[in-house]
Amino acid sequence: MISMLYFVVESMGSFCSRQQPLNEVDSDENKQAAEIDKRIDRETKAEQHIHKLLLLGAGESGKSTIFKQIRLLFQTGFDEAELRSYTSVIHANVYQTIKILYDGAKELAENEPNSLKYVVRTDNKEIGENLSEIGSRMESPCLTKEIAKEIATLWNDTAIQETYSHGNILQVPDCAQYFMENLERFSEVNYIPTKEDVLHARVRTTGVVEIQFSPVGESRKSGEVYRLYDVGGQRNERRKWIHLFEGVTSVIFCAAISEYDQMLFEDDTKNRMMETKELFEWVLKQSCFEKSSFMLFLNKFDIFEKKVHRVPLNVCEWFKDYQPMGSGKQEVEHAYEFVKKKFEELYFQNSKPDCVDRAFKIYRTTALDQKLVKKTFKLVDETLRRRNLIEAGLL
Amino acid sequence: MPQFQQHASWRLEGGGQVIDLETAVKDGILGGGGLPTGKDGTLGAAAEKLDLKKMIEGLDSAAEDVPSVFICPISLEPMVDPVTLCTGQTYERANILKWLSLGHLTCPTTMQELWDDAVTPNRTLHQLISAWFSQRYLLGKKRSEDVQGRAAELVQSLKKVKGQARVEAIKELQKMVVAHPSLRNALADSGGVALLSSLLGPFTSHAVGSEVIAILVNLSLDSDTKASLMQPARISLVVDMLNEGTIDTKINCTRYIEMLMAEKSFRCEFMLSLSLLVALLRLAKDKRHPNGIAAALSLLEAICSHEQVRSSLVSVGAVTQLVELLPNLSPEGSVPALHILDDLSTIPEGLSALKDCPQTIPNTVRLLMRASEAGVQYALSILWAVCRLAPDECASLAVEAGLPANLLLVIQSGCNPELKQRAAELLKLCSLNYTTTLFISKCKLTRTIQ
Repeated sequence: MISMLYFVVESMGSFCSRQQPLNEVDSDENKQAAEIDKRIDRETKAEQHIHKLLLLGAGESGKSTIFKQIRLLFQTGFDEAELRSYTSVIHANVYQTIKILYDGAKELAENEPNSLKYVVRTDNKEIGENLSEIGSRMESPCLTKEIAKEIATLWNDTAIQETYSHGNILQVPDCAQYFMENLERFSEVNYIPTKEDVLHARVRTTGVVEIQFSPVGESRKSGEVYRLYDVGGQRNERRKWIHLFEGVTSVIFCAAISEYDQMLFEDDTKNRMMETKELFEWVLKQSCFEKSSFMLFLNKFDIFEKKVHRVPLNVCEWFKDYQPMGSGKQEVEHAYEFVKKKFEELYFQNSKPDCVDRAFKIYRTTALDQKLVKKTFKLVDETLRRRNLIEAGLL
Repeated sequence: MPQFQQHASWRLEGGGQVIDLETAVKDGILGGGGLPTGKDGTLGAAAEKLDLKKMIEGLDSAAEDVPSVFICPISLEPMVDPVTLCTGQTYERANILKWLSLGHLTCPTTMQELWDDAVTPNRTLHQLISAWFSQRYLLGKKRSEDVQGRAAELVQSLKKVKGQARVEAIKELQKMVVAHPSLRNALADSGGVALLSSLLGPFTSHAVGSEVIAILVNLSLDSDTKASLMQPARISLVVDMLNEGTIDTKINCTRYIEMLMAEKSFRCEFMLSLSLLVALLRLAKDKRHPNGIAAALSLLEAICSHEQVRSSLVSVGAVTQLVELLPNLSPEGSVPALHILDDLSTIPEGLSALKDCPQTIPNTVRLLMRASEAGVQYALSILWAVCRLAPDECASLAVEAGLPANLLLVIQSGCNPELKQRAAELLKLCSLNYTTTLFISKCKLTRTIQ
């Protein structure tokens, strides 16, 4: 669009400076109008061949991680400058994490019946208070070796460990363990974040980000062109999505299935899974998605796997009719199939009859695992290509 | 075995084929290919050892033309033990002896009276017959071994190759399995089936998955294999392919699931997802592919026999979709659809969906005329259930649709007594709101319209 405007302006300028008889002026104008029309036509056609994928989902469902993975897989990835830019983010994440844990321990010590186990050791208390204060600042200081040591000490406190394992009622981020385990590396003087670090880094997305990419096929031929949009997930940002809704090829809805026992960041009385359920229902009802395929990514399977044994699914109201059948790997599969079925039911309940032809597929993902994301995306790509062929009547 | 020196060429009756014993033995009558022969040109010991009778039975005689001179004129079968009469005609020993024992003293083909009742074994002919059948038998065996060898090769290659090469290998294997039934058991024994099953998983591409299912659906699998195929991830994969594949893939997937459902260990609450039901309904409505419709209805009929799934079926709008499908089905084709609707009428949601759908009564009534006895039974059952639920509205609809005339025909037809009774009860139900004269006039009117 912008380049077209430029063209018009340019030609207008040169046009005015010429002296031409009137009838020639007319035909020149027509020629330019025709050129502009052709240009618009070409670019519209080009746009149509770009498949637009919209990442939706509640906050912390893993949308941005998927976004980063796609960048790493199909674009040039992160260059050193960009990696460096994540250093402060990661340091901030570390401070935020330990603050949440320490404050959380204090809260649990006051309110929980079994409070003694949440009481931090006396000699760690000062460290805790100090870190809590740092974590509440807008700008966090650089992570030095000394501070890292203090954080590690606090992390190893049994009260903090106890708090971490009961982190569901607090807002402990899922990657807390990852951050704590890598403190030493993070506090190196010349620390440059790795790809893995960047994937774990937690930045709340505001506004919209997009990337255009083309997954290269097996035959080294360029595949379809995709444009992926990532939007903010928290409640107060949903209105920003609206103007993007028209005509997306596919909605990739991310749902973190490990969150069935956690509360929202924005509203700690609301269960996250219920929030996801309501959001999914809302999205399904939008008329702008009537023709879009729905790819449901049931994300954070790695955390789900471990949690299922500790915390029964029934703590979430949506899953209250769940009946465990055994233990071990079979139980995990059983629980997963149950959750999948719930989402499926929700999908069909909220889809109008004339949307029946819409493609709907469910994928099990762990957004942090690059190989898995690549395999999953290969399947998504195959589905969308087949859809194209079906719609063109070639299949 | 002593042999006479043959002339360089024999001309045989019918066919004009030139045969001499040496070439017949070495090169076969149709040329090409060879038999192992001993140094003196006799038939190789191996050939003799192969039981002629077995070879004759084993050979698909329709596939190749057995030379007419090898056929016994009495039984019209290839001769295992040819004997010659004094007239020079040759017959199967058992047959001609039977003929003679019945008291006939003539040669069956020439009708000449026999001056000598001796039967002489025709060793020459026996050798020719043996040679001919041996050659073909051994060739057939070799071909089958080649096929098995190639199949084994393909299975091995599947362990190593990926991507497009893998898809090609599976495609070739599938074509072979369809063309050579003997492969089906071989594949199971050699671990090919296990390998193919292992290719199915949550990350299997459509290309690979559809070809694997195309093979598996042609095999008869044992219970263990079927149990391993019933893992939820593998079933989900099949449902996805049912949604997205070509018509052949869809039909294969449908038949595949039907095959798995027959197993005792099939757990319907887990296996029969809403996506599957929606996909089957979509297939059943696809007018371009009648065999797809038939396959989908067949599986839905089997699914409906499980009561737990019925409410799920109703929740995805099966009732309306099936009712609207009825006019497009042939009389035989409509039986499964009617059966499904009848099963769905046994649950409250299904029954009210039937009642609410405006096409239920007209479409079902129309089928009463065309359907077989099984179809009539289901149709009557549906109409009975619906009319009993809401007699006032439904009865008048039914009468308008011409039900009474059809019921009269059913009652008058030669169907079983229960059906007649059901029809009579339904007739009574319909007539409740009408005076006798009005009702009779309605019946007559609709009959003349038809």
